[in-house]
Amino acid sequence: MTTVIAKPGLEGPHSATAAARRTKLVSYLILAIFSVAYIGPILMLVNTSFKTLGDFFKDPIGLPTSLLWQNFVDAWNLANFPKYMLNSAIYASVATAIFVLTSLFVAFPIARGLFKGSSVLLTLYVVALFLPPALIPQFQLILNLGLYNTRPGFILLFLVNPIGMIILVNYIKSIPRELDESAAVDGCGYIRYVWTVVLPLIRPAVATVTVLHAIGIWNELILPTIYLSNDDYYPITRGLIVFEGVYGSNWPALAAAVLMLMIPMLVLFMFLQRYIISGLTAGSVKG
Amino acid sequence: MANRTRNLFGQGRAAWTPLVFLAPGVLLYLIIGVGPSLATSVYSFTNATGIRGAPVDWIGFDNYREFLFRGLASRDNLAALQRTLVFSVLVTVIQFSLGLLLAVLLNQKLKGRTFFRTLFFMPVILGVAIQGLMWKLFLLPRGGPMASFLGLFGTEGEFLGGQPGEAFFWVIVVQIWANVGITMVIFLAGMQTISADLYEAARIDGASGWKLFRSITWPQLTPAINTNFLLNIVGSLQAWQLFLVLLGYRPGTQVLGYLVFAEGFGQTSGAVTAGFRQGYAAAASIVLFLLVLVIGLGANKVVAYREERYMG
Repeated sequence: MTTVIAKPGLEGPHSATAAARRTKLVSYLILAIFSVAYIGPILMLVNTSFKTLGDFFKDPIGLPTSLLWQNFVDAWNLANFPKYMLNSAIYASVATAIFVLTSLFVAFPIARGLFKGSSVLLTLYVVALFLPPALIPQFQLILNLGLYNTRPGFILLFLVNPIGMIILVNYIKSIPRELDESAAVDGCGYIRYVWTVVLPLIRPAVATVTVLHAIGIWNELILPTIYLSNDDYYPITRGLIVFEGVYGSNWPALAAAVLMLMIPMLVLFMFLQRYIISGLTAGSVKG
Repeated sequence: MANRTRNLFGQGRAAWTPLVFLAPGVLLYLIIGVGPSLATSVYSFTNATGIRGAPVDWIGFDNYREFLFRGLASRDNLAALQRTLVFSVLVTVIQFSLGLLLAVLLNQKLKGRTFFRTLFFMPVILGVAIQGLMWKLFLLPRGGPMASFLGLFGTEGEFLGGQPGEAFFWVIVVQIWANVGITMVIFLAGMQTISADLYEAARIDGASGWKLFRSITWPQLTPAINTNFLLNIVGSLQAWQLFLVLLGYRPGTQVLGYLVFAEGFGQTSGAVTAGFRQGYAAAASIVLFLLVLVIGLGANKVVAYREERYMG
């Protein structure tokens, strides 16, 4: 295990290159083995999704005899994909928009220490990561407000995200305060300042928080299981698991359903990878 | 915060503007986030159910007594507690090691390293529903890919449908598969902060390979190591969603997180009923919380020691 490839010339040209080549070869070998574990399940999904049920039962890993698109049509219709995807999109976009908007106006005053107790408030967000889960009292709250099994009640659950808040606060701190002062001298109002000066400057952090928060909602499976019993309100994750419960043995249709859900996410991931990874590694390497 | 600034934006009534706009976010956080979090301990002393408006009585430590000491159920609970620890230790050790190995490999100048990094990170964004279904298909017992592969070595398995121990093992595999990408990118981000000069100097002193790793990478990587160590421990103690997708509520496989869900909300979803033992579930989640707290604090001690040693 070496972290850097030895440069030729330090221990004699011949042995160094040979060692470097060997290191490289071993590295590729290990990476290839891991890749199988990551590509394999995807290939199996693709392969299965083009098969007839009969083909699948005869030989699950054999190649399909013909390219059958019917599974995708079936899954799309049977799994209520359009309805569930629309629900997921509504939950993710509405909740993320409200969360980011309200957080912006919490993060800025905290980062600037605009009022007494800003640091206490920040602490309150940090300790949240170490508190017990809110699951049960949250349920009692939603239930007693009469919001159980409603869209607004469900969205309410996603308007809070301490990690997102901390990312915003830390990023705003990196913006020079002189900017605040010159804006104030120019007579720029608070809201206009946060909206037209601060927001554009912290765009990378806002993008990261937006993407992480929306993906979290899109992928959430437990909360819809707990809070939504009417299938008109199901998001796509819950819809998929219910579909599995009903058509569990029809793997070709199920595989098609999983793929249809996966492909847009993978495409999106290719474009947004930078923001996702910077959010997940934020603050983890500086100590 | 000592460097609190004067409110620059307006005098008199206008000075209140920041506070007015701060309020919605903070109120939401108190009502939906921190408040319920703290109230969990209060609910753990009651007999709350899933019925709206039903009377809730204070029953003291009954839930805890029942959870830990009463009858066969408590023996199952303690078994689940033990299983949670086993799950956490295995996932932490393996995910940490594999994440480090992958990061070391991908920190070299290799062709295709962006591809590999993307590939190993991919499951992180897919979520448990997709992760779980993918692996259910991949682990199909008869004639599936994994079954056929193991068949080459004359091994047979029932995988997720097998004995509890076997099923539990495969959940661990999927859990690590799904999350090792996060561990890897945190290590990679840490490695990118290590100056190339350090390696250069050590190499001139004749160090190479393992020695470079031991004397430079490992100490310099301290912040990333500590982050991953804590994240893996705390994350694996609380993880249970893949159990739901891969196995369902099966005797002999439950971990504490799943137990909380099953007691508080029923094993399957549907209508709200009086059968939801929310007080009892709250007690169970406090037990889990204390476990996370004690182990997390212990791990924090290790982390503090490492920082002292390597970073002064």
